[in-house]
Amino acid sequence: MLAFVGRSNAQSPAQSHLKVELISEEATSAPGQPLWVGLLFQLDQGWHIYWQNPGDSGQPPKIQWELPAGFVAGPIRWPQPIRLGGGSVVDYGYEGQVLLMAPIKGPSTRNTTPLPNLSADVKYIVCRDVCIPGKAHLTLSDSVGAAWGSWRTLFEQTRAQLPKPAPAGWKVTAVSAKQNFVLSVQARSQVGGASFFPLEPSQIDNSSPQDFEPTHNGFRLILKKSDQLTEPIRTLKGLIVFGPGRAFEISAPVASQ
Amino acid sequence: MRKGFVAFAVIGFALMAPSLGWAARVGAPAPDFTATDTNGQVHKLSEYQGKFVVLEWTNRGCPYTQKHYNSGNMQRLQREWTSRGVVWLTVISSAPGKQGYVTASEENAYLKQANAAPTAVLLDPSGTLGHMYDAKTTPHIFIINPKGSLIYNGAIDDRPTTDVSDVSGAKNYVSIALEEAISGKPVSTPTSRPYGCSVKYAD
Repeated sequence: MLAFVGRSNAQSPAQSHLKVELISEEATSAPGQPLWVGLLFQLDQGWHIYWQNPGDSGQPPKIQWELPAGFVAGPIRWPQPIRLGGGSVVDYGYEGQVLLMAPIKGPSTRNTTPLPNLSADVKYIVCRDVCIPGKAHLTLSDSVGAAWGSWRTLFEQTRAQLPKPAPAGWKVTAVSAKQNFVLSVQARSQVGGASFFPLEPSQIDNSSPQDFEPTHNGFRLILKKSDQLTEPIRTLKGLIVFGPGRAFEISAPVASQ
Repeated sequence: MRKGFVAFAVIGFALMAPSLGWAARVGAPAPDFTATDTNGQVHKLSEYQGKFVVLEWTNRGCPYTQKHYNSGNMQRLQREWTSRGVVWLTVISSAPGKQGYVTASEENAYLKQANAAPTAVLLDPSGTLGHMYDAKTTPHIFIINPKGSLIYNGAIDDRPTTDVSDVSGAKNYVSIALEEAISGKPVSTPTSRPYGCSVKYAD
């Protein structure tokens, strides 16, 4: 049985407008099992950081892991972002609090042990009406803090809210028209509204409204093409979002009209 | 994560997206504009037919812009290309009260202090020029060829960071596009995602 504690080491330079910590879900790491660690960002009100596709401006946090020999880090599981800004510049990111979690795998021969010494260099840009770059060197420390009992819950909650693979019954396709992509989702059920968050930059115009059209078995979204898009694309990848905790990963083959 | 969520715009039926034209599409004529510089001189794009024109959006409070001015990279590009006959117009679209907004005399003092060398700095506090080109970030670069067509829309280089140390070794899209276009070749990278701070338009 694993203990309900995590480990952390906070770093919060004055005027940074956020606090970022490296935390772990478990107090020990078991052989063959990934250890989930994460960067927990707590942002001052009104400030945001960015999703893996930041949208029109900004950049996502960049994480460089420092791991003991034999350990490897998996990709970050990016939580569902929100749309930021309302004018002609629209970004995708996070406000309030966000946990960017990643699995760390150790050598499979290891026995259950205390946490490995691992640390991360993180570089980020945090913005409100202005942007401030920041960086931190974070370590999973050996000390135990009072608030750590809640980390496991936080990992579980974050995991439950992560974008999920599109349901097996969905059929997702896209058609490239002159100025738009028409993204069609056959979802076997009627839907009241949805929006699309593109995974790749410079495919769709982030600030244009997305027109939603219900169909008898799903819906279509009309997505204006980006000014930066000059070559045809083969797939439109991203998230279909119905609401908080209801985001689905899609990859739609693009046919020309 | 925040508790609320974006409201979804649910459009009733079969409305096609409004057929908004592209603001500044590579391969298409660049939108003509008239704008006033920090010395009160009026610049009209169509008057520069026959020359290459670079438009560089700037905001000196933005750390991405600072990377290119503190390193001297932007000034070096301005010097190099203006000396080769290119018209380099820096544009400030920050609205009054927003980061990067400056008066003409403040900007002229800054140009001197920063040793900057654009052909001119266009003041666009209303955002008219910015919206005409749909400039998103600072920096954001557009290049117009002597026939008035847009040949580049995007980032200054391929290192989307605020680190001065990333300037050297970066692939500078502006210089590559200008070198290629001047020697009659097609521009190999005609678009890229511009990186930087959002342009501080009026709300």
